[in-house]
Amino acid sequence: MDSEFLEIKSKDDEVCKLGECGGSVTSILKYLLESKLVDKVLTIGKYDDIYDGVPVLIENPKDVNKTAGSLHCAPTMIGDLVSKFLNDFKVGVVVKPCDSMALNELEKRKRFDRDNLYIIGLNCGGTLMPHPAQKMFELFYDVNPEDILKEEIDKGQIIIELKDGTEKGVKIDDLEDKGWGRRENCQRCEIMIPRNTDLVCGNWGADDGWTFVEIITEKGKELIQAGIKAGVIESKSPKQEQIEKRAKLEKIMINLMKKFETKHLETEYPSLEEWDKYWNRCIECYGCRDVCPICWCRECEIEKLNKENHSKSPDPLTFQGVKLSHMSYSCINCGQCDDVCPMEIPLSKLFYKLQKKYRKKTGYNAGFGEELPPLYSPEME
Amino acid sequence: MVSDVKILGFCCNWCSYGGADTAGTARMQYPPNARIIRVMCSGRINISMILKAFKEGADGVFVGGCHMGDCHYASGNYKWRRRAKMVGDIIEEFGIEKDRFIFEWISASEGEKFQTTMTNFEKTITGLGPLKRGFKPI
Repeated sequence: MDSEFLEIKSKDDEVCKLGECGGSVTSILKYLLESKLVDKVLTIGKYDDIYDGVPVLIENPKDVNKTAGSLHCAPTMIGDLVSKFLNDFKVGVVVKPCDSMALNELEKRKRFDRDNLYIIGLNCGGTLMPHPAQKMFELFYDVNPEDILKEEIDKGQIIIELKDGTEKGVKIDDLEDKGWGRRENCQRCEIMIPRNTDLVCGNWGADDGWTFVEIITEKGKELIQAGIKAGVIESKSPKQEQIEKRAKLEKIMINLMKKFETKHLETEYPSLEEWDKYWNRCIECYGCRDVCPICWCRECEIEKLNKENHSKSPDPLTFQGVKLSHMSYSCINCGQCDDVCPMEIPLSKLFYKLQKKYRKKTGYNAGFGEELPPLYSPEME
Repeated sequence: MVSDVKILGFCCNWCSYGGADTAGTARMQYPPNARIIRVMCSGRINISMILKAFKEGADGVFVGGCHMGDCHYASGNYKWRRRAKMVGDIIEEFGIEKDRFIFEWISASEGEKFQTTMTNFEKTITGLGPLKRGFKPI
């Protein structure tokens, strides 16, 4: 179906206050649980503070409010949790673009039944690494990171709200020129609006206190209509200029992304000597494999090929090389391998570069469509 | 003159290995530094096998399969061709020249093609010299 645009907002005043942009997502999640459309809801919530975004599984509609509000220091990926632990349940899951691409890749590999899922996408301009973010707030905002109650990314700025109610914003460009700001993977991420979900929510182009929704599938449309009927959310249709504003914002972000992509994958791409130094750091912990949403085999070939000498770094040919041959064509640039690597090897640059090359050759775009990569094809040609 | 590069060839049982056999029975000379491993089908070959060959000291790796449409198992060589597309890109990232890996379709009757392919490949590899890898585990 063609996508449809709507503006929605929660009818619950408390949710409105707690959540971002009218608390629409919180209300939709509540409605999903209350109406028993799903058994569980999987989303991201705060653990201790805003630097501590963790996956949260909710069964009781009353608990949904705790997860209201935006959270940018949460590079946690929840895509693979669905396939690992929740494939027996009906689940409503809130995703950012990399999660939705991981879900798409896993769905193609038949790791779960898509009919069981309500996938609610969020516009995403990028996430921040928690620890560097705290340092950045100290350096550039001149505040104690513990005093920050809320943060959001809007109009090209990272804006923080302090305990005493004051707001401070610094331009993302200024931060990123100095090597701070968003994660590298988010800087070169191509997808800001995940259109492989049921519906996408965000504040781009929306009026104040409203959420702009793009409805992608029939399922998403039914959900929104049911929500309106049940009186959980109210809606209005956006003006043409709002739709254009949203499209313009997306275009700006995509242009910015291209700049970073060339920087990361071409001009500042590590040389072979640098890579050799990186490979000599590897302690063979298999963290990159375990966290990768694409790697799901129960028996891993890398383990079998690297049995000999565990006191030395493994040969990259049979370690990273074999991993490349198994998953690089489906790499979605989530960057979790970089995040978990204890030796800080920038693996995702290599994996993502290879997916780009594969895309050029075969036209296969990881994370989208219904077809598996051509490598899996049973066809003759 | 025989150079001391090592070439590993994976040949499919039904075509390329037959081709090597034909070359042998017809007493066609091909470089003696090629070692051949017989596999039942080129569709059996994983990229990891090529990578392991380079790790264990091969200077060049050759894969031979049946011509398109001739596969004994109908579609094995198509599967291999899809995989083969990635090999060059992967080994390049680890400092191994793309030319050190080739694949070719050789039928059981094409002894001559086998001979020329191997001779040319040996020339390329000798030109490149033994594989020098930057990575040395500390």
